[in-house]
Amino acid sequence: MRKIKKQKIYLLALLLPFITFVIGFEIGPLVAMIKNSFYADDGIQVTINQYITIFKSKFYLQAIQNSLVISLFSAVTSVIIAVIAAYSLTKFSQKIQNRLLMITNMTSNFEGIPLSFSYIILLGNNGLFTLLFSKIGWDVFADFNLYSWTGLILVYIYFQIPLAVMLIYPSYQGIKKQWKEASSLLGGSTSSFWLHIGIPVLLPSIVGTFSILFANAMGAYATAYALVGSNYNLLSLQIASLVASDVALKPQLGSAMGVLLAATMIGAMWFNERMMRRIRRDLR
Amino acid sequence: MSYVTIDQVTKGYENQVVLNNISITLKKGEFATLLGQSGCGKSTLLRSIAGLEGVDAGRILIDGIDITNLSPRQREVGMVFQSYALFPNMSVFDNIAYGLKMKKVKNIKSRVKKIIEMVDLIGKEESYPHQLSGGQQQRVALARALVMEPKVLLLDEPLSALDAKIRKSLQKELKRIQKELDITTIFVTHDQEEAMTMSDRIFVMNNGQVVQSGSPSEVYTSPVNTFVAKFIGNYNVYDMEVFRKIVRNRELKGTEVAIRPEVLQLVSVGEDSLDLQENWGIKGFIKDVSMTGNVLRYEVETEESAFHVDYLHHRGKMFEQGALVHILVPKKECIIL
Ligand SMILES: Nc1ncnc2c1ncn2[C@@H]1O[C@H](COP(=O)(O)OP(=O)(O)O)[C@@H](O)[C@H]1O
Ligand SMILES: [Mg+2]
Repeated sequence: MRKIKKQKIYLLALLLPFITFVIGFEIGPLVAMIKNSFYADDGIQVTINQYITIFKSKFYLQAIQNSLVISLFSAVTSVIIAVIAAYSLTKFSQKIQNRLLMITNMTSNFEGIPLSFSYIILLGNNGLFTLLFSKIGWDVFADFNLYSWTGLILVYIYFQIPLAVMLIYPSYQGIKKQWKEASSLLGGSTSSFWLHIGIPVLLPSIVGTFSILFANAMGAYATAYALVGSNYNLLSLQIASLVASDVALKPQLGSAMGVLLAATMIGAMWFNERMMRRIRRDLR
Repeated sequence: MSYVTIDQVTKGYENQVVLNNISITLKKGEFATLLGQSGCGKSTLLRSIAGLEGVDAGRILIDGIDITNLSPRQREVGMVFQSYALFPNMSVFDNIAYGLKMKKVKNIKSRVKKIIEMVDLIGKEESYPHQLSGGQQQRVALARALVMEPKVLLLDEPLSALDAKIRKSLQKELKRIQKELDITTIFVTHDQEEAMTMSDRIFVMNNGQVVQSGSPSEVYTSPVNTFVAKFIGNYNVYDMEVFRKIVRNRELKGTEVAIRPEVLQLVSVGEDSLDLQENWGIKGFIKDVSMTGNVLRYEVETEESAFHVDYLHHRGKMFEQGALVHILVPKKECIIL
């Protein structure tokens, strides 16, 4: 009896670094951010003015809207592409699957400033492909501007896809071959199988992946900064300039925007969960 | 007039022949069993009939129609998988209704309701597969196939994942439903007892071939070769050379002899009521006694060989381990192969 207790304490002690880490680097800053957001610029007066400022400012609302749009769009597109890509992955032999997964894994870590520069080198105004294709006479990139909304979306989708594939791929292992066979013997076509069984079974993983991608895009900062600098009005760029710029340092306002950023992510997750429970009633 | 015809079907994977020139015919309403050890090709044959696997040669006909090249959905066969393969995201009702919805038939509700009554699942309509026991899941799988009123019902070891008691009761129920609907059924099992109790006809398979077919009692009492003898009846099988020595009779012909364990009798040494006119008497001692349900199984060692002897376990005399006995082998029960 005593021995077990001792062992438990020992095990808890092993958790200590983890708990410290979570409190120090996640919960701590979060609490500080929320607290900060309720102070005036002077850092003394308690107020909700920071939030009022945001909701009264067309500029900041625009930033929130832009961030929401690019995050939604890139997350939805990437999830759709990843669902298809991960499925075709499962059709290869195990050996090829492993190799493709390794590449996907590597590229899923490829984001931020290195990714933006790669894009600039390949598809920028003087990028390799831009010049190559114009020399060849293909004008596919004539109207393409990397430093625009389209360019930004392209880069976002690019860094979201490998992550999405990595997250969705494992759930295909959960789709049993016999379900397809049973469906076909009962008169179902391939598309009715996917519509009624395949996609619903994948849904929890799709929804979870979508939440992660959405948060990933909402918080993405370095990629956007390297590509469009502060030319583009995004929530993450605005927060950065409020807490780290040398022009207008307003950490309290930045905190309030940070809280809103977190709120959108939590809102998205909640909404996703709700939608999923509606379709997958067996999981209730 | 045969209802299902499997005509010289052959199929292989890579460099291995899995179905070797198989021919089977079934009458309408017949309950047929494919019996054989694991890996002998039973599932492959069933899946070929369902259209889930193609065949390399041969034809499959149901109700006079050549279905060899039809897709599974065109074949009008129902199948129950060993793993049930229920759709996890659908309730019992929706699982059973799935096929009807695909076919866009009318009165889905009443048809599903009727079949749910038949398989005794009333009250479980809104449950999901993960909330059901193995036996209940099996019933859902059966109902899902039956509701389509298929021409042939295929069952791939549907009961082997269940424990003995539920298995026995489901065997009975399956048989009742099969008779009630008069549905032509092909049942796969590796369990000879299950095959015996359920089938109208048994097809014993080995290495991708049908080695014997017939009614349960035909297959049991007159096995055509050593494989069937050993697999079906737990027969004592001896090389004729050895058997001649055992019974001290040089005139016997044939290459092998098979004797069912329950036709042998044991008599204590010293009791002198041996009928050596109809039997051979062989001296030995009880090496081991074991009990399987209501059957006592003796392992008797003789000078040249050993015998399994089965007795119904009743209150009568039981031989102790080490006891000296005579084995009486009825001459007419020896099957020469
Ligand atoms: N898809 C497949 N690819 C290669 N070999 C297979 C495949 N399916 C079955 N086999 C082989 O065919 C043989 C028969 O298999 P199966 O029909 O499943 O046997 P059973 O159902 O009698 O146990 C086995 O040796 C098995 O390894
Ligand atoms: Mg099998």
